[in-house]
Amino acid sequence: MAETQTAQIRALLGGGTSEDRVAATHFMVGAGFLVLGGALALLALLSIRFADLFPITYGRLEPMANLTLMFGFVVVSLVGGIYYVLPRLTGTRLWSADLAGSGLLGISGLVVLGLLVIGFGFGSGRQPLGLPWWFHIPMLLLLTLPLIITVGTINRREEKRSFVTLWFVMGGVVWLPLLYLAYFVGDLPSLGAVAVEYSNVFLSAGFVTMFVFTVGTGLFYYTVVRELDVSLASRQLALVGFWSLGFAAAWWGAAQLIFGPAPAWVAGVAAALGLAFPIGTLANAANVSLTLEGSWGDLSEKPGVTAGIYGLYLAVAVATLAALAGFRSIASVTSLTAFWEAIEYAAIAGPGALLVAGVSFSAIPRLVGREISSLKRARSFSRLTVIGSIGTLLFMSAAGILSGYSWIGGSNTAAYIDAGEGWAAGLGTSFETLMLVAIGFAFVTFAGQLAYAATIFGTVTTGKATTQEVLVSREPGDE
Amino acid sequence: MSVGNLAMSDLVAAAAAAMGLPEVLVQRSAEARAADTGASVDDLLAAWAGGAPAPAAVSAEPVVGDAPTEEPAAPEVVIEVPAQAPAEVPGEVPAQAPAEAPVAALGSEERHGPYMPPILVGSRDNPMTVLVGAVALFVLVALVGLVGPSLQAETPGALSTNLPYTQLAVDGQEIYGNLGCAACHTQMVRPVIADVGLGRVTLNDSNQILGTRRFGPDLSNVGSRVSATQLQATVEGQLNGHPKYTINPQDMSALVAYLSESVTVGEDG
Repeated sequence: MAETQTAQIRALLGGGTSEDRVAATHFMVGAGFLVLGGALALLALLSIRFADLFPITYGRLEPMANLTLMFGFVVVSLVGGIYYVLPRLTGTRLWSADLAGSGLLGISGLVVLGLLVIGFGFGSGRQPLGLPWWFHIPMLLLLTLPLIITVGTINRREEKRSFVTLWFVMGGVVWLPLLYLAYFVGDLPSLGAVAVEYSNVFLSAGFVTMFVFTVGTGLFYYTVVRELDVSLASRQLALVGFWSLGFAAAWWGAAQLIFGPAPAWVAGVAAALGLAFPIGTLANAANVSLTLEGSWGDLSEKPGVTAGIYGLYLAVAVATLAALAGFRSIASVTSLTAFWEAIEYAAIAGPGALLVAGVSFSAIPRLVGREISSLKRARSFSRLTVIGSIGTLLFMSAAGILSGYSWIGGSNTAAYIDAGEGWAAGLGTSFETLMLVAIGFAFVTFAGQLAYAATIFGTVTTGKATTQEVLVSREPGDE
Repeated sequence: MSVGNLAMSDLVAAAAAAMGLPEVLVQRSAEARAADTGASVDDLLAAWAGGAPAPAAVSAEPVVGDAPTEEPAAPEVVIEVPAQAPAEVPGEVPAQAPAEAPVAALGSEERHGPYMPPILVGSRDNPMTVLVGAVALFVLVALVGLVGPSLQAETPGALSTNLPYTQLAVDGQEIYGNLGCAACHTQMVRPVIADVGLGRVTLNDSNQILGTRRFGPDLSNVGSRVSATQLQATVEGQLNGHPKYTINPQDMSALVAYLSESVTVGEDG
């Protein structure tokens, strides 16, 4: 009986090699966490506007949403993408598919455990995850597994030339555990409040630049050339894009704390180096656009490519806003406001999700031998995500700017209310209206997230059979 | 055993038994192969069950695409076969696959043998150098972005913001963290117009939880503006539109102590 069940599960996952089944499982688990994280993010946004609506308030809902979306969805899905491309680009099997599977099990379990810990009030309150210090040790170990597997695989590669995707993958798997280590350091008892806060924003910003955009873009480069069978426009542009994203790193995190209790030169450096963020995203978007020259008409049947290209363009918008807000004149209005909440939300729910779909919509059919169950639904995901995340980004950042101006106005007119809140009289209503519209767009994004999960699960279970890509090893004497 | 007169379900069962695979997998594979080659599902199933040779065995030339500008790619481990042909252990595909599949039964669209799109051919370099560069870049960024802010800023004449909390208040700070208060409240007053009136500017030696969002008011100096009773009423959701928190009396006293002891002393720095 157990053997039959195992065979059925293996059949559902394509019946291919163990690494391909592991990759497919990553995408499916990631899709489940996207729905859960999207729902939590929606509740968190609602709780900003309607504070008493839920038994758990924003202070706990937000880190729960962050944990689920960042580690349950993005990390799991992109690591699945890494396991999908590695054998195909290196000409060898994954270093250890069993370890990869264990990593998936571990990180999924940790995310669920983390949700319970935060939800029941045992979190630390440290942004962005709110996890207690002891949680970081297993998490750090699990985040190191993709690095070990990637290095192990590349070390025994048959293909001696590197396609650009390998750089992005290598960068992402190295930076992810290092970022988390830096975040973990923030829990050391001897560390001051300023260093703790900087390590918090270091993770939230670095996670987007050094992992989500880096790995997502790298995997999308692979998708584009495999799906359309066209040459990459420029290896050099990809190189610029990769190192710029790494260099952009955590500067927009520091930008959130401009005027805070740190040496003023930190803010200056952050503003200047933060410009690497839009440069990196622009280089990658331009590279893919040039690659697609002459192939744009073919995209209607390629939902993965469509999602990825939307993701790259949205990434440019998010990066530009984040970089601009790194300058002191703008930061004096936007710092500490919902402006940054908008950027952090949009970066994961918009470009993050679209770049994940960029690889998963292409990989899943190849891995399990089934066509995308509904092209219409897949396209709906892209459209709803683009509309929803742009709307949320615009209206929530506008609400943030309004807050910033109201604080300045409050100071000039002594219009503070009793508790020292910075609302100038009358502006609070406008803020609430803008937030309400932003939340409306977040519902649209959530509809897109449901469409994504339905597409992934629908493809695996009911998609029409198609050509499957199966890994085989070279035989002696093969050319 | 003749399979020619068997019903499709029997054919599926026979093929599944011969291949050691679930029937659903065999059925799906046969349908995909049939659609791809034009052969009938029954013929394919019969062949896989051990009968006639697989029909439509069209072996295709390797698809190479445009000639790569660099030297030819090394053989890739990827081969595309019709749906669901099993290949659990690389190198043993023919042994586990249906009769003559996948090697001899590749459709015209499949890539037979070593194949790598020219666009996926990269340069001969070592990805491990990327690893070294990535680590070096991270160290540089961490030094400037993490260690840098922790350095003492020069603020001549400024008063310390390292507040002398009691043990109860220190416990309260933990409750403040557990409840996620910092998600909405800062404890950081900046030298900008927007923060005028909020109390003493927060310095590098602060022992408060700074926070990065201000959906609610700044609390760095809340003890000088609001009484302990008002603070408790606010946390319980009775004042200022604050969401309601139900916490035990001990935790509440600790939290209120922490907030009450957050008080500006002396002149602004």
